[in-house]
Amino acid sequence: MNNSTTPVLDARGLEKSFCMGASQLRVLRGVDLALHSGEVCALRGTSGSGKSTLLHLLGLLDTTDVGSLHLAGLDCTKLGRTAAARQRAKQVGFVFQQFQLLPELDALQNVLMPRRLACGWSWWSRRRDEYARAKQILSKVGLSERMSHRPTQLSGGEQQRVAVARALVSKPALLLADEPTGNLDTQTGNDVLALLLGLAREQGAAVLLATHSRSLADACDREILLVDGKLEML
Amino acid sequence: MSLIHYAWSFARRRALLALSAVAIALGVAVLFTVLAVLNGFLAQFEGTMRDFSGDLTVRPLPSAWGGSQEIETYFDSIHSVQGVATVEARLNWFGLVGRRGSRALSDPRSSDLNGLLLVGIDDFDWKPQDDPNALPPLRLGHAAATRMGVSPGDTLEVISFQPRPGRAPIPARLSFSVVESFSSGQHDQDLDRALVPRSSLLPLTQLKTPFTELVIRVNDGIDPESLQTSIQEQLEQDGLARPSWPSVQTWRDNAGNFLRAVENQRGMLVMMFFFIVLVAAYQLVATLTLTVTEKRRDIGVLGALGATPGRIIRFWVSLGTLVSFFGVSLGLGLGYLLTSNLKSIELILGGGEKIFLPEIYQFEEIPVLIDTYSVALLAGATLAAGLVFSLIPAWRAARRPILQAMIRR
Ligand SMILES: Nc1ncnc2c1ncn2[C@@H]1O[C@H](COP(=O)(O)OP(=O)(O)OP(=O)(O)O)[C@@H](O)[C@H]1O
Ligand SMILES: [Mg+2]
Repeated sequence: MNNSTTPVLDARGLEKSFCMGASQLRVLRGVDLALHSGEVCALRGTSGSGKSTLLHLLGLLDTTDVGSLHLAGLDCTKLGRTAAARQRAKQVGFVFQQFQLLPELDALQNVLMPRRLACGWSWWSRRRDEYARAKQILSKVGLSERMSHRPTQLSGGEQQRVAVARALVSKPALLLADEPTGNLDTQTGNDVLALLLGLAREQGAAVLLATHSRSLADACDREILLVDGKLEML
Repeated sequence: MSLIHYAWSFARRRALLALSAVAIALGVAVLFTVLAVLNGFLAQFEGTMRDFSGDLTVRPLPSAWGGSQEIETYFDSIHSVQGVATVEARLNWFGLVGRRGSRALSDPRSSDLNGLLLVGIDDFDWKPQDDPNALPPLRLGHAAATRMGVSPGDTLEVISFQPRPGRAPIPARLSFSVVESFSSGQHDQDLDRALVPRSSLLPLTQLKTPFTELVIRVNDGIDPESLQTSIQEQLEQDGLARPSWPSVQTWRDNAGNFLRAVENQRGMLVMMFFFIVLVAAYQLVATLTLTVTEKRRDIGVLGALGATPGRIIRFWVSLGTLVSFFGVSLGLGLGYLLTSNLKSIELILGGGEKIFLPEIYQFEEIPVLIDTYSVALLAGATLAAGLVFSLIPAWRAARRPILQAMIRR
């Protein structure tokens, strides 16, 4: 690992609390984390420890109360909604436990969606290339025969493979995966994880993978633990 | 907008959105039909009106103001204006007739004496010198002929008055030979007009200018209104009109209140029916709001994939516009179908009877005119309404925080 280059992700002193009526729930209490491109890191912690919350902060889906966040060279600490969305479209890929595919669209269109969002008006001039790219990544996850199938026509493992393709089609600098195998049986989960890590490594993306599973964490380069709102390196 | 594909996949599976489109379509179809019929009616009215009364008319200047000029002076003056095709002199003279032509006139108690406007025109092949005993010919309005029971070959006697300068006018009796009846296409004209040779009226009139109006027809493609001022100015220049005495009237002025009433009616109907279209389009607010609630999670997913709030708004607005676009297209098609089958629809609605009686409306079939401008305006206004109404749910969708949308706790 080359630690001398600037990290893709650089988070310092992140804090996040949720108001529960009168009381405050302090979930993150000063998280420092740096990830370099190509680095695959597992994030473990007990249920309710704040793994998802941290992933949301790092993926710019939510804003931090305290601390600073740099993503792919851009200071993302206080981005507005539109700027955060642009940065997300360019630099962040998400894989969720619940797959979160758009049910009206077939596999190919689901994979194309982040590209449509990222391209904006230039989509029309680029769509040939974009289609080729989406088809290519779908065949890499082994779904070249299922491109015109909608999510309801796919198995859980296949859906999650579509989600992996969708998360990586824009070649993001950071891939955030929140329990990507949580809804799959062990065998399928391992297959999907192998695909995910293989593709991410091929693209040189930094990966942060939240999971309960120790065996999943073993497949990663590095493992960190979220305890009492702080990270512990293992 | 690259999200249109998604909007389309989305709309295809939503019967509710299709219902919204149908509601808009019905409103648009009805408005399309109303517009087509009223425009057709107005166009037909304009046609018959201009056919009979000309595109523009000129009144002679009263002799007290130096108007007693030769008719050729008028002709020359008007013809010198660009765009004028023909000028023809008319002498309108009022008379009275009885029910059965000459017979009823012998009985002054008759209650069915009718006014008849004798329109003296030069379009007759008749000269008084040919045979002093021959009666001048007369073409009688179709409805007047029916009412009086007069047919070609009958003699028609008309009582009129001969003005005498400085003294009371004296009654005069004129006899004509009915040669044919004519149909101008306008019921009220056919009811009280008779065309006679202008020369047959001249002995009665004592006028220095032997016409009461000059009927002008303009060249094809020229708007009569555009010539009104130039003819007036030319006449003034030649001493045949005065600024204080507007001589030139367009067919529109002559058509008077009837035309304005119909145009006014068209405006009212369009407003009313557009209101219906608006109400139909307003449904989009409810339908899209429902859809936004239903698609809460997917809106969140779009946000996670990098959709900016602006794009979310655009997505919902294009969804609404898509629905109104289908509504408008369907409505225009339906409207076209309606207007091209009006005859059968009229019979169905009237229970086998015509609703628009040809005697009154002077058309055998309901006239229809589909003009591009009205159709474009209708389509544009409906689409604009759909767009405005989609903005409200779109804004609601974009405002929601991504996480809250995506995760149901
Ligand atoms: N929007 C919110 N409002 C209130 N509390 C919240 C909110 N989001 C998260 N929390 C709380 O923060 C804590 C951390 O939640 P988080 O989802 O990050 O845990 P997690 O580590 O991902 O758990 P799991 O492994 O079960 O997914 C939980 O106690 C949760 O109830
Ligand atoms: Mg979680």
